[in-house]
Amino acid sequence: MSFLNRPDMYALIDANCFYCSVERSFNPALEGKPVIVLSNRDGCVVARSNEAKDLGINMGQPFFQLAELRKQHDIAVFSSNYALYGDTSARLMSLLTHFAEDVEVYSIDEAFLLVEGFECLYPSYQDLGEIIRAKIDQWLRIPVSIGFGPTKTLAKIANRLAKKTPEHNGVCVLDTPEKIDESLKNFPVNEIWGVGRQSARKLECFDIKTADQLRKVPIDWIRQMMTVNGVRLVYELQGHPCKLLEVGQKPKKSFCTEPGFHRVTTDLAMIEDALTAHLSRVCEKLRRQNSLAGCLTVYLKTNRYRKTATGLPDKQHNPSRTIVLPHPTNNVLDMIHYAVGALNEIYAPDYHYQKVGIMLTDLVSADYRETNLFTAGLDEKRLKLSNAVDKLNQRFGSNKLRLASQQHNPEWPMQFQYLSKRCTTRWSEILEAK
Amino acid sequence: MIDSLDPIPAENIFRLDPKRRQAIPYFSAQVQAGFPSPADNIIETSLNLQDLCVAHPDCTYFVKATGESMLGDYIFPGSILVVDSAIPIEMGNVVVCWLNGDCCVKRFLRVGKMIILEPSNENYSPIYVHKDRDTFRVLGVVTYVVSKPPRYVRPD
Repeated sequence: MSFLNRPDMYALIDANCFYCSVERSFNPALEGKPVIVLSNRDGCVVARSNEAKDLGINMGQPFFQLAELRKQHDIAVFSSNYALYGDTSARLMSLLTHFAEDVEVYSIDEAFLLVEGFECLYPSYQDLGEIIRAKIDQWLRIPVSIGFGPTKTLAKIANRLAKKTPEHNGVCVLDTPEKIDESLKNFPVNEIWGVGRQSARKLECFDIKTADQLRKVPIDWIRQMMTVNGVRLVYELQGHPCKLLEVGQKPKKSFCTEPGFHRVTTDLAMIEDALTAHLSRVCEKLRRQNSLAGCLTVYLKTNRYRKTATGLPDKQHNPSRTIVLPHPTNNVLDMIHYAVGALNEIYAPDYHYQKVGIMLTDLVSADYRETNLFTAGLDEKRLKLSNAVDKLNQRFGSNKLRLASQQHNPEWPMQFQYLSKRCTTRWSEILEAK
Repeated sequence: MIDSLDPIPAENIFRLDPKRRQAIPYFSAQVQAGFPSPADNIIETSLNLQDLCVAHPDCTYFVKATGESMLGDYIFPGSILVVDSAIPIEMGNVVVCWLNGDCCVKRFLRVGKMIILEPSNENYSPIYVHKDRDTFRVLGVVTYVVSKPPRYVRPD
């Protein structure tokens, strides 16, 4: 929507292997070495550097399977240092506002920019892309890929090409019809942003395999196949923006937490402890975004890799139970009875449980709560109580004040064996220079 | 009797960064008919060390010095260095950098194509960086040094 009838231009900026790059940015000795980052409790691989990908390490691969590979290669292993990644991400997003007014933070390491009205500052989009790359490298020491396109979907495709083809040097601009035609011709349909596995399979049945083929389908047909989302997608591929920049954070629609135990357990009391702790954490998050949950799901998981003493696979039990709360709430005290009740219902002895999870859904904003005629509404006193607890915990450290049933069991707090220093958020862990 | 509200001239409109919050001073005194409190005309926010030391918050890191190689630049073991990665490095700046993986603070000098990392303590010798042999990466320029005053030792 510019004055001169120029089409809009979107840029998608995406940090390459973000978690690994952040670890490298404070430890350049890792440059050129395989680096992996593990999930909570060091369970499985959640990020891999290119060198680690070349070794055949897969996304989501359980860490214990890598023992042999680690003996052969010098692989740098890190627990997820969310404090460091979060801080670096916030810096990155804030720095991107130097280049464009409108920045949509799409994920921890991705942002859409509306790059319009900066023609006088940069001779071309290619130059702008190269400047952004060079500056982010100087400021944060993190490599990024940048894709430009007239719609967000095309920018995403350009970004993917920038990352995949080394000749692009991290910047790919799709600004002319010729360039768009050229790049869509070979772009597989299942890699397009917004095409899920199911849709891709459906499209493939009709012999639609590339983005170029998808772009030329009749609109009515795609509406039947993939609803209005498909229509948007086709328009976006044709260069008509349908997905606009979403500036400002949307509140999350559901919360979920399920860190596992240090080792498998059959003990109900221990599971209950963990459940209470998770519940209070997730409620704190809920209050921070000023929401109430109307629905609560508790689930248990056994370890599917575990073998019994005889070498046979262990028996599996992965039950869950969902409870609709009498009124939406964000208070632990309101929920705890239901959560523990649900747990007692699904718990079966003799199984070795690995994880207990809790999920809060049906979220509404705390400002719009409705009072139900027959059930007591949200207790104002309890609301104040939980706010006071939050404030105390913020001041004196998390979990200083907690429910009695939430035993402080040092056996199962998150396990971070390979944690790097949180050098931007803790004074005691800042970098040291000789 | 306000007859002319000054319109804001276009050149005075700057882009605001929505991420930064600026506290706006609040007039706490109540309005009274009569003589106003003279203190209400003078409003200042209290000073903040961050504003003095940190020019680019998104590009600033705090680093603790551990060695004695930079005593001449008032950098003592335990000093906190304010390091800015947005400032272009000039000849003679004190920088924090990684040389072959080790993090160090030194004076940055360029002689021809070579880089010299010079300490400011005569007991230490300068380090010559060889581009093809060493890996070298600069974190940023030291803009401030925060130290405690040295402990007083009474001369005998």
